[in-house]
Amino acid sequence: MDTDTPRGGGTNVDNEAPRIEPTVETDAATKTEDAELERTLGLAGGLAIGIGTMIGAGIFVFPGLAAGRAGPAAAGSFAIGAVIALFVALPASELATAMPKSGGGYYFISRGLGTLAGTVVGLSLWLGLVFATAFYLVGFGYYAVDTLAELGIAVGNGWVIPLALLFGAGFTVLNVTGTENAAKLQNGIVALLLSILTFFLGFGGLDALGLVGEPAAPERFAPFGAVPVLTTAALVFTSYLGFAQIATVAGEMRNPGRNLPLSMVGSVVIVGVLYVATIFVATSAFGSERLADLGETAMVEVGRHYLGPIGAVAIVFGGLLATISSANASILSTSRAVYAVSRDALLPRWASRINLRYGTPHVALGLAGGPILALTATGRVTILAEVASFLHLVMYGLICVALVALRRDEPTWYDPDFRVPGYPVVPAVGAVASFGLIAFMQPTSQLIGVAVMVATAGWYVYYARNVTLRGVL
Amino acid sequence: MSRVLVPLAVLEGESVSPGLVDLLAPADVTVLGYHVLPEQTPPDQARVQYGDRATAALETLTATFEAAGGAADSRLAFTHDRDRTIDRVAEETGSQAYVLPGIAESIDRLLVPLTGDVAADRVLAFVADLIGDREIGVTLFLATDAEADGRLLLEEAAETLAGRGVETESTLVVSEGPLDALGGRAFDALTEDAAAHDAVVVGERAPSLQSLLFGDEAERIAAESVGPVLVVRHSEDSAAASEP
Repeated sequence: MDTDTPRGGGTNVDNEAPRIEPTVETDAATKTEDAELERTLGLAGGLAIGIGTMIGAGIFVFPGLAAGRAGPAAAGSFAIGAVIALFVALPASELATAMPKSGGGYYFISRGLGTLAGTVVGLSLWLGLVFATAFYLVGFGYYAVDTLAELGIAVGNGWVIPLALLFGAGFTVLNVTGTENAAKLQNGIVALLLSILTFFLGFGGLDALGLVGEPAAPERFAPFGAVPVLTTAALVFTSYLGFAQIATVAGEMRNPGRNLPLSMVGSVVIVGVLYVATIFVATSAFGSERLADLGETAMVEVGRHYLGPIGAVAIVFGGLLATISSANASILSTSRAVYAVSRDALLPRWASRINLRYGTPHVALGLAGGPILALTATGRVTILAEVASFLHLVMYGLICVALVALRRDEPTWYDPDFRVPGYPVVPAVGAVASFGLIAFMQPTSQLIGVAVMVATAGWYVYYARNVTLRGVL
Repeated sequence: MSRVLVPLAVLEGESVSPGLVDLLAPADVTVLGYHVLPEQTPPDQARVQYGDRATAALETLTATFEAAGGAADSRLAFTHDRDRTIDRVAEETGSQAYVLPGIAESIDRLLVPLTGDVAADRVLAFVADLIGDREIGVTLFLATDAEADGRLLLEEAAETLAGRGVETESTLVVSEGPLDALGGRAFDALTEDAAAHDAVVVGERAPSLQSLLFGDEAERIAAESVGPVLVVRHSEDSAAASEP
């Protein structure tokens, strides 16, 4: 509806202005002038979003690829990723408690650094999620083929992409028409995954340390040197993108001052520990060369090695669930990303329309669905993952910069419940590490990432250069 | 007179029937217009698109209650979780009861079940306040496995209401099995009785395994009888304690 009066500065090419209204935030609801928006997510829900988004890629898709690049030191690559993610999660937590609104990183950056940075990040985030979803879907395709193989139906890897496309289309349709509360399902999936992994890691860990089973042949920790450890860290950073998704639902989280920092930092710590342990166990089971040969579903063979057929089935099942939950959570986030920028007049308002029948954002979901399928069809796992990481890392770096910018001339509205320990070192390290990690990616990924950012900046100049968002709450 | 919350799914066209409006005339009414969204959709997105339409509908509904002589205001909420929203707004407005609207042309007789672990005193006080000096009768209903105790409780309840000038009848169902299992004899008897009455007033219960599996008792009664169901809330202390 275009009837209410906007307060944001300036208008876009379509003569729409940012829709910014005064709100009162309580722990249980956001109150605008005419309505209340219930906060319904608790700490468990926040953790489930974070862990559920992250865990699919990190444990089930990357071990083989990462071990092939870095050897057993791939565990170090995952640890580096976790530390960088933590250095960003802390500043992001402070900003999220100061601005507990839907939109997450985009919102902080547009308010802290202005419209240009906001447009680039907002649209890049959307595309980053599109790339990430495509990556998760390809991972899902590999696990689907392996599942069929475990069931005795060998179809070969030629079916990976068709299956990924089929399910990608299916998830999109499901998200447009599905009104059942899938959050509870997501919580269940995450709990199930965590128990499968804990059991597997507990047993595999004992074996790897030589306490049970036969001792494995020792291997040099970093056979290829230090640089591959860093390039691998750049590749596998996709495994940590989920914590920022928690910030995108900040407006729906109960008691945000407590639950946002806890769920962001907590989910990074939990999955970081799981990842490092998993890689350790996987590289102890087989040499890294063997893992690399096994590729995207190497973990299935690791499961078989430790626990026999049951282990293989458990990992295949876990991998299916995890890639589904990652893909689905990311598709959901794309529509929130579109909503956040179109509310601020950086995209046409029709892009965020919802339908009354299902109550779902069908336009935004449809807009994401097409590109997701096109990217899935390329099947380029490493490129998809790196571009997704690239676009997110730019946002993470800018989140840290936005925190510093806001802290330097603290506006009166800036009153976070959670303040970063070790300011300004933590955000500075977070920014440098985020931008630095980009340098270790493949040239193709860097090129695509830069092209996306230039294109979004071009969109700003064409469409929204008269919109002002800095400090507009 | 106390405040009653009337939650309505405004954007789905849910409305109130004349019988309910008349019944609530002595009470202060807060109409809570709500709209439930799937989790894919941020509540704010729905507010932007449908806020005006919902506000207009709420104004009409509020006017209906005012026309019947009571004081009425309204709240509008977009949510993923209807029950949580009703709880919160009831708490914030200090509402003693909330309503599952149902349909009733006129309300001459209320069914008041006292089965199980309900705060009978609060329910009876609310019923007496609501009826006031109007010609509305009450049927007290109790299902129990201890006949003598049950009879005593019903007599006390009837006396309480008679003391406030309310005419009562009583139904006692003696049941061996679990008292409120879905499809159990006691619940069947209750819904049969409910269908024969214009409206039901029940006390809110703490969530149990059974209510998780089969749905809230009040909602099951509402589904079985067509009429409005008024749910008298826990006292403030116990409501605060049940917050997860």
